[in-house]
Amino acid sequence: MPKPPPGVTDSDFQAALRELENVVGRDWLFSSDEDVLLYRDGYSPLWGEAEERHASAAVAPSSVEQIQAIVKVANQYGLPLYPISTGRNLTYGGSAPTYSGSVVVDLKRMNRILEVSERDKTCLVEPGVSYFDLYRHLRTNKIKLWIDTADPGWGGLMGNALDRGGGYTGIDFRDHFDAHCGMEVVLPSGELIRTGMGANPQAKTWQLFKYGLGPWVDGIFSQSNFGIVTKMGFWLMEEPEAALQVNVTVPKRRDVVPLLDTLHSLMCAHTIPSQTTVASPLMSGGTHPELLRLRASGGASDEEWNRHAAAQGRPFWSATWIYYGARKVIAAQWEHTKDRLAGIAGIEFRETASYTFPLTDQQAEAVPDKARLGIPSLNLFGSRNAVGAPPSEGHIDFSPMIAPHGEELIALSDLTGKIYADMGLTPPFVGGLMFHPRTMICFHAVPTYRNAQDNQRTRRLFESLVRSCADRGWPIYRIHAHFQALGMQMFGFNDGALHRLHETLKDAIDPNGIVSPGRYDIWPQRLRGSRA
Amino acid sequence: MKGYAELSLVCVAVTAPLGPVLAQEAPFPIAAWSRTAAGVEDRGAAVERGAAVFNNWCSACHSRGPANAPGTTSLQFKYQGTIPAALEDRQDLTADLVKFFVRNGVATMPQFRKAEVADADVDALAAYLTRPR
Repeated sequence: MPKPPPGVTDSDFQAALRELENVVGRDWLFSSDEDVLLYRDGYSPLWGEAEERHASAAVAPSSVEQIQAIVKVANQYGLPLYPISTGRNLTYGGSAPTYSGSVVVDLKRMNRILEVSERDKTCLVEPGVSYFDLYRHLRTNKIKLWIDTADPGWGGLMGNALDRGGGYTGIDFRDHFDAHCGMEVVLPSGELIRTGMGANPQAKTWQLFKYGLGPWVDGIFSQSNFGIVTKMGFWLMEEPEAALQVNVTVPKRRDVVPLLDTLHSLMCAHTIPSQTTVASPLMSGGTHPELLRLRASGGASDEEWNRHAAAQGRPFWSATWIYYGARKVIAAQWEHTKDRLAGIAGIEFRETASYTFPLTDQQAEAVPDKARLGIPSLNLFGSRNAVGAPPSEGHIDFSPMIAPHGEELIALSDLTGKIYADMGLTPPFVGGLMFHPRTMICFHAVPTYRNAQDNQRTRRLFESLVRSCADRGWPIYRIHAHFQALGMQMFGFNDGALHRLHETLKDAIDPNGIVSPGRYDIWPQRLRGSRA
Repeated sequence: MKGYAELSLVCVAVTAPLGPVLAQEAPFPIAAWSRTAAGVEDRGAAVERGAAVFNNWCSACHSRGPANAPGTTSLQFKYQGTIPAALEDRQDLTADLVKFFVRNGVATMPQFRKAEVADADVDALAAYLTRPR
């Protein structure tokens, strides 16, 4: 027997469920305990604890009209809804609602690829379309366009874009929200809007020109709860003639300063077109006692670090990226890059993979670093990676954002290492991804478990990381649903003026507060006492 | 440390040119689905529905691999060769066991919802993985 959402009587809830069943049919309303539990956050940092977020029911519509009908029922009964697209936003909350008792609106069944234009290099998709789905469609139909995929290929284009996730290919594509062009939204009132050029039904440029006329509102539908997005257009990358993946290493800790300054410059100049990953081969060394001592110190000298690197025979930093385009152009870009970096003593340059397109299916399967070629996979998953090692059960991502400056990366590494060590934990790897050419996201995964004791420690650690890094000017760009209130506190300029604006918008757009209450800490008037 | 630590290893470990490798036959069986074959709805009667469900939903982790099969790799570490790591090679699976793991997940594998894999598809998957061989 499903438990009604807070503030909704049992009789009203039962009446609402009956009406929802009339909308979607018996097979697509889920209200038994067994079915509703499938909407748990599989990586919840609150697994099994009283505060774990649970849905009260779920409903899986197949059309925009059904969504509008669901919204109407929700407004009538004050039913909180929680729309999900593919529901695979694991590490950031998965398919579980932000506000316990919400009815999940599961949009996975709406999985149609509505349009792909090879001529215009665009697509229009529904919420349930995964990266795998679109990739398969393009391959099957021999369309010479690439997707840009998040690391887990089962994620959806829309959901990842709306949570402002990122990928690996060209700058026009790997910032997934930035790569969208036009959306359709069911507002909390049930009214349907199309943004940008889509507001002109005759326009042939909905997926080509983002802004339309008047205020550009698309941004308010990301990391928010102002509507249920039902269609989104995306720009796709034309398959290049070739690609060259490269890797450079530099030997000393402080070498990361000129390395990042130069990479930043080359990315802004579009000489380096792709996401750039900066890692430390030294820190992949795991549990070497000297490595742990240095990581835990919170500020060991460069000389100490460099001695350790030399003793290990490893370079301190490694950077990986990829060029796409005509072979002659790639060669010139790579030569220019080497010229610009040549002043770093001891730098080594490697060409790690070279591709000519199109790839055969077998060649595509054999690509080791798939996401850099827009090939979706689940290769980052895996619960065991050593004999006898305990299985991993989940994780949440800690994602601070820094200026792409070597000094910042070193300082962040020192701070996070100390936080871990002070809690008696092994410090994590620290590196950074330049999804965006002007910032670096230094995320690492914080493990979650299926027991309260370990998860309580994880939550203390995570909160400490969030607060300590924000104090240094490194707030997060995205955060697990349980920590969204904490995350928004880190954006509190002028006594939280931005957050007040969010809630002013919420009250205007969703006066009954039915869509995703609490998501990114935006609460409707009637539930503001629910803020964590 | 799972996901990103592995990413970092991938990024720093690939140092050999891959042109010659790509010119050869892949050194492992390619999963029928993964990223290239048609979905469940397209495969028609010629292929068992359960195999299609497996290819559509499971093979990205559980193909015979070991490349592109993190679930198979994980099970190899778990069982150390005492039983096959690839689910399609197992002969000890029961229908209830298959259904349990689809709906409950295990370790980093999350549960799958009915809007993703309907009960009828889970039944077909169980029939495929427990078929007499």
